[in-house]
Amino acid sequence: MSFWTPELLSPAGSLEKLKVSVLYGADAVYLGGQKFGLRQASDNFTYEELAEGVEFAHSRGSLVYVVLNSFLHDKDLAELPEFLNLLSELKVDAVIVSDLGVISTIKKHSNLVIHLSTQASCLNVESAKLWQQMGAQRIVLGREVTIKEAAKIKKATGLEIEMFVHGSMCMAFSGNCVISNYTQGRDSNRGGCAHSCRFEYSIDFDGKSEEAKKAYFMSSKDLEGIRLLPEFIDAKIDSLKVEGRNKSHHYAGTISKVYGDALRYYREHGNFLSTDMLLWEEELRKVSHRDYSTGSLDSYAGEDTIYNQREHDDNEFVVSGIVLEASKDQHLLVDVKSAFLPGDILEVMPFKGPTTKLRVDFLKTLSGVDLVKSKPGSVVKIPFLPGAEKFNLIRKAVRV
Amino acid sequence: MKLVTYIESEADLDQFLKAKKPGLDYELILGCDALSRYSKTTIDELLTLVNLAVKDNLPVVLEWDALYQEERFQKAKMIIDHLPLHDFKAIRVQDPGAVHYIRTQFPWMKMQVILENGNHNLEGLKKWQEYLGEQCERLILSNELSKEMLKDYAGELKTPIEIQGFGRILLFYSPRLLLSPLEKEEMKKTYIEASGSSEESPHTGFPLIENQHGTFMFNVKDLSLLDHLKEIEEMKIHHVRVDLRFDHGFENYLNSMIDLFSGEIAEISPEVKKLHPRPLIKGFYNINKTDVLFTKLKNKRTQRQDQNYVGEIVDVERDQQLALLIKTEAFKEGVASSVFMITPEGKEKTLTLPWVKLSTGEEIKSAGKNDLVLIPYINGVTVKTQVYTKART
Repeated sequence: MSFWTPELLSPAGSLEKLKVSVLYGADAVYLGGQKFGLRQASDNFTYEELAEGVEFAHSRGSLVYVVLNSFLHDKDLAELPEFLNLLSELKVDAVIVSDLGVISTIKKHSNLVIHLSTQASCLNVESAKLWQQMGAQRIVLGREVTIKEAAKIKKATGLEIEMFVHGSMCMAFSGNCVISNYTQGRDSNRGGCAHSCRFEYSIDFDGKSEEAKKAYFMSSKDLEGIRLLPEFIDAKIDSLKVEGRNKSHHYAGTISKVYGDALRYYREHGNFLSTDMLLWEEELRKVSHRDYSTGSLDSYAGEDTIYNQREHDDNEFVVSGIVLEASKDQHLLVDVKSAFLPGDILEVMPFKGPTTKLRVDFLKTLSGVDLVKSKPGSVVKIPFLPGAEKFNLIRKAVRV
Repeated sequence: MKLVTYIESEADLDQFLKAKKPGLDYELILGCDALSRYSKTTIDELLTLVNLAVKDNLPVVLEWDALYQEERFQKAKMIIDHLPLHDFKAIRVQDPGAVHYIRTQFPWMKMQVILENGNHNLEGLKKWQEYLGEQCERLILSNELSKEMLKDYAGELKTPIEIQGFGRILLFYSPRLLLSPLEKEEMKKTYIEASGSSEESPHTGFPLIENQHGTFMFNVKDLSLLDHLKEIEEMKIHHVRVDLRFDHGFENYLNSMIDLFSGEIAEISPEVKKLHPRPLIKGFYNINKTDVLFTKLKNKRTQRQDQNYVGEIVDVERDQQLALLIKTEAFKEGVASSVFMITPEGKEKTLTLPWVKLSTGEEIKSAGKNDLVLIPYINGVTVKTQVYTKART
């Protein structure tokens, strides 16, 4: 017997990250083309990459959604129909949209399935009904909505409902922040967000600047919803989204693997009473993150969801590299992401199951020269590990 | 030109009525703290204001512009249901949920729909117009639209449009209470005003408000298009909103605004302008170029172009070889005799390929997608160099 679980929807900031997300357990991925999305700084996908990504995902049973969720200006919109034709040819599974002009253009030029982006800040039943009339088949709810409210929206509309389960959070109602537009000349709602909400501010309450209080008052903690998976399932939420197209391969792989493993466990057992729950939570702490909170998933986000710290890096683990080639009984070729040394103990993350330790007994260049240290942005040979495969992530503990 | 402005109290209303001139075309927005983003007016005070307005036959519009999650939306609906909606000439709404609720529950009530959040294309505006039909008496457009776009839209849309002519520019709206955690316990109140500055930003003194709806941050400079009223009118935009709710706006500006909109003066005097506590800007009225910096956010040279693409250099061993990760089927039928490369710095190189090898050293004649192959070293090539079969045209 298999129990129902929501779809796990992971970010794909690049073709390589798409492969990582899919191989590590994502049921679906979302990605952006070179235009029309909200991550101008991401690699994003060329047409050929998109074609390869769709083929790769579909051949492994995963779906592909393409973001078109900028608030487009007229000149951007004029370029959209051509891209829609390409997406239709590639048979992408849906497009994620926040602007009514974009929805209208999609409906005129294609039969693509429309998901309403969280950027549209759909927060209540009445709003969902309006967007349903406009043509949305799925609503990605605003991150301010609780799971209980999401259940009501689903029941009242019959729409597919998607909610964020993990990742960075905007403090503002999505689409309701234009700080970058006015202070940096970059349209945050067309992909130019400068993350001014992560800055430290002096807050002056009474005009006496010497008494101003310094705080990262607009910086939100990250979302972590693994403990609330039973509530998502009870509420019949259709899709659980992981934020992070700009984030690392390590992030894409680890989060997909952890939530994928947890949901797989539920499908088999009908519960989350796994001794691995603590392990899953521990794994989520191994990727780069701010302090976690459950945001507004169980109740409206309060004071305890404010991060109020400078952005800093105190990761327990860093990704050492990605396996490019596994030559049986000979070596692994690793695309190095951060330095490691001969003698180091690394962890290889298989696509399923627990990590395996690997001692770096040798570290060589491709031509076989011994190295004293690997260099990020190079490819090295290290010992072969049975079970290791192309695209496996390799990481190293940096803090215990 | 119609002056659209806010009335927050009986004193405001009294002052307005005393100041207004014959021939002034105006409309008054009334809100309350439960429904409007920044209003301090209680529901009782709102009811008093509405009664006064009805008595004097004043054109008043109810504002419902706060955003609500489902639970809070239910409470807002209850308030709406119990207000004397017939006493208002229209309701102005922003949340699409509010739009849908009024459309379905109060189809007789005229709506002014706030489309200030995005809605930067004619296609979408026309779609809103079509959906809302006759019930919609006005579309309130974003202050990110340039005059060129506004002119175009005013000419194309049947529904009259309104723009902001004067007031604060909202930058950020969060449902979370972000200021009260910083207040001393004994100082805690339901409406907090403050200002914020960051050393990481060249701008100082962002006005901040926290109230029951959350936290709002405004730009350090306020919007004023008052010097362009004639031009705006010529565009066929006949509704301009002036927000005098903050910074003693009523005290300092009301008379001048009324004179300006009545046509008694051509512009606000420099003395009055000086009373405003922050610089005034035109925002994006002249031009909106907030997408031009996007090209600088990433190195285009390290991004692949699909035409003739082979792959990317992932390792360089000086004087030995380059490792090429093949990302297409370009070498499937046979490796090329030479390749063209573009480095991240933009240097262009052509490299003859007398041999191509696997990582094991075995020479190969063809290679597939995702294969890692070794090719001869060439000076000046670094990791992330993009490799093509031919020079790009």
